[in-house]
Amino acid sequence: MGGCFSDIKGGKQGIGGTPQRPIEEAGGGPNDAVDLFYRSHGLHSLFTPLELSLVGSNLRDRDITSKSDPIAVVFAQKNDGKLEELGRTEVLLNTLNPVWINKITVAYQFEMVQKIIFHLYDVDTKYHNIPVKTLNLKDQDFLGEASCFLSEIVTKQSRSLTLNLHSKNRPGVSTNLGTLTVHAEETVASRSVVDVVFRCSKLENKELFSKSDPFLRISRIIESGGSVPICKTEVVDNNLNPIWKRLSLSMHQFGSKDNPLIIECFDFNSSGNHVLMGKLQKSVAQLEQLHKEKTGANFVLPSSNRAQEKVLKGQLFVDHFNEKKQFSFLDYISSGYELNFMVAVDFTGSNGDPRRPDSLHYIDPYGRLNSYQQAIREVGEVIQFYDSDKHFPAWGFGGRKPDGTVSHCFNLSGIETEFEVAGVEGIMAAYASALHNVSLAGPTLFGQVVDRAAQIASQSLSHHGNKYFVLLIITDGVLTDLQETKEALVKASDLPLSVLIVGVGNADFSQMEILDADKGIRLESSTGRVATRDIVQFVPMREVQRGQISVVQALLEELPGQFLSHVRSRDLKPCNFGGAQTFA
Amino acid sequence: MAKLYGTTSSRTVEITVISGENLRVDRRSIKKNAFVVVRPDGGSDFRMTEIDADGGSYPRWDKKFVLDLPAQAPAVSVEVYCKTAFGNRVVGVARVPVSDFSGAYVPETYLHFLSYRLRDQRGERNGIINISVRSKVPPARAYTYSASASVPTPASSVGVPVGKNNYGGGVVTGLPVLYAYH
Repeated sequence: MGGCFSDIKGGKQGIGGTPQRPIEEAGGGPNDAVDLFYRSHGLHSLFTPLELSLVGSNLRDRDITSKSDPIAVVFAQKNDGKLEELGRTEVLLNTLNPVWINKITVAYQFEMVQKIIFHLYDVDTKYHNIPVKTLNLKDQDFLGEASCFLSEIVTKQSRSLTLNLHSKNRPGVSTNLGTLTVHAEETVASRSVVDVVFRCSKLENKELFSKSDPFLRISRIIESGGSVPICKTEVVDNNLNPIWKRLSLSMHQFGSKDNPLIIECFDFNSSGNHVLMGKLQKSVAQLEQLHKEKTGANFVLPSSNRAQEKVLKGQLFVDHFNEKKQFSFLDYISSGYELNFMVAVDFTGSNGDPRRPDSLHYIDPYGRLNSYQQAIREVGEVIQFYDSDKHFPAWGFGGRKPDGTVSHCFNLSGIETEFEVAGVEGIMAAYASALHNVSLAGPTLFGQVVDRAAQIASQSLSHHGNKYFVLLIITDGVLTDLQETKEALVKASDLPLSVLIVGVGNADFSQMEILDADKGIRLESSTGRVATRDIVQFVPMREVQRGQISVVQALLEELPGQFLSHVRSRDLKPCNFGGAQTFA
Repeated sequence: MAKLYGTTSSRTVEITVISGENLRVDRRSIKKNAFVVVRPDGGSDFRMTEIDADGGSYPRWDKKFVLDLPAQAPAVSVEVYCKTAFGNRVVGVARVPVSDFSGAYVPETYLHFLSYRLRDQRGERNGIINISVRSKVPPARAYTYSASASVPTPASSVGVPVGKNNYGGGVVTGLPVLYAYH
């Protein structure tokens, strides 16, 4: 764990609590330690586990004397087209309308287009006593297959999708093989969040010349016996009766209210060798009890002569305890919240003459996508699922229009009154035609497209409150006026808007890193207004091409968090939330 | 359109002083006792928060004020002080232009979360102050933000076509136009 506490400035901050307000989130810095922990354990901190329940209807009958004995096998289709098995249901006997009980767990990731494929088989009677995991599927009778994108299910209010089954590799050919209904549900009851304020009294001093600098670390005991740190408080300097800031623990982190948590109090040491001042074990339910009774719990120290634990004078108190519901990204999305996609493309001269193959705007006659096309397609394909009308505003900037004027926000469609185009293919077509009609010019200014996107986001507020906007800016280079862009972004930071920036080519993108306030430095306008929250995410295309994760994943992974920071700070609830969803 | 509303007479706003970040006096983080004074330009009116005794240099007040802004007030000052044994020290001041929470296409009753850099008396950068501002309007003009009605306003009032009306003879400035509907 030493690495997590390595720099003093970062190390003294609280980490891992569920952010309350965007303001605190931006101020407190990213939860690097927690993120790193999950990643190093092969988990993505932002994935949401979903359980798929499956129901078949009017399946084909393959048995002569009785009905089929169906099983469903679920696969994820990888980018290279290969199938990876995610799980199998049980075998149901003698039915053409199976309602399987076993659920298949899938990790939903917003930033990926996840194709799921379902294969249905009739399992021959002679295999019925074999565990389903070991069944050789080749030996079974094929009943049909179906596929869908995970995002298609989660954007449905019912979170259910009914698919027509078809025979192998022949989608579209309707041979009446029946249907399969897929229902997705979040596995953990992750909506619960507990706010606590911890205080300690009479901690034992561990320092020679001053008082200790205590902080708390909270870990969850996991089934295999070990413990996983879930968060830590900030460090209170030079104090043996510290009160820490409010900490938010989500059900996601602590599992269940009865799950024991280890609470350790350390004396902060800049070397990273924090000295244990005491520890104790309490579940969230027990912490609630401490708060009700206003009593303290004594810390103990593991003693050198093994079995004995030394009970300390130092006590832990819970000054504040509040349990509340927090809605997930999928709660909002399935209730009708939308992500609306907008694109702005760089038409400045530094891209190089589009007719030359070395230009960043060169359109390959053989169809190989240039970086602009790649970024539009990849980001668009993810976000379009969350946009119901699929009409996307598309602009260019830094180009000279046919009338000879240079514009920093012109419609890619080429039509003065039409800023929207239909579908991702519509953007691709508009981009290609704009390259014919608009000549590259300069300078590089983002201000106008950001302002225009902000204006659309503002106007949507008067109609419905349930839209969130995502502006993708693709650029090859250096901003002519960084401050102009900052002003526009600071103004937009209070709106339902996120800005994704993709850098193409080999320019120096260090400016973009300033706009992307990941390092905890908030954008500031010349008048002293500071961005309410971080709305910018920047990724250079070249960096991603080398690595394994795609540009899109890197770009989109912060989006659900930015969306939540907006709706939560305003206490907006998912539309029509309250009716419990049932699924038969 | 929205810009025209309320600029002619005084407006009522709800300002919540949320929190401060990294507050310093004489380049040293303050230990305790920060408080805030909110003061509209061009009036003698002001409001004051309680002293936050235990938030240190990251105080939190969550204090809501309802203020009447004079018609021509261009800004509201937010002044952060620290109570010490030697009296009240100025931590820093931020000016909040009225244009940051009015006009610019957003519905008039939109809840704005705003943050500002504080400047001390010598004009040097200090910490950050976080506030929220919502303009109060007569009920007939209120708008509901989401289907869940987090803003308790009558939904029937959404989308009153003010602009299309003719008030029986030209433009009347200085009159709260919506009273024409009652």
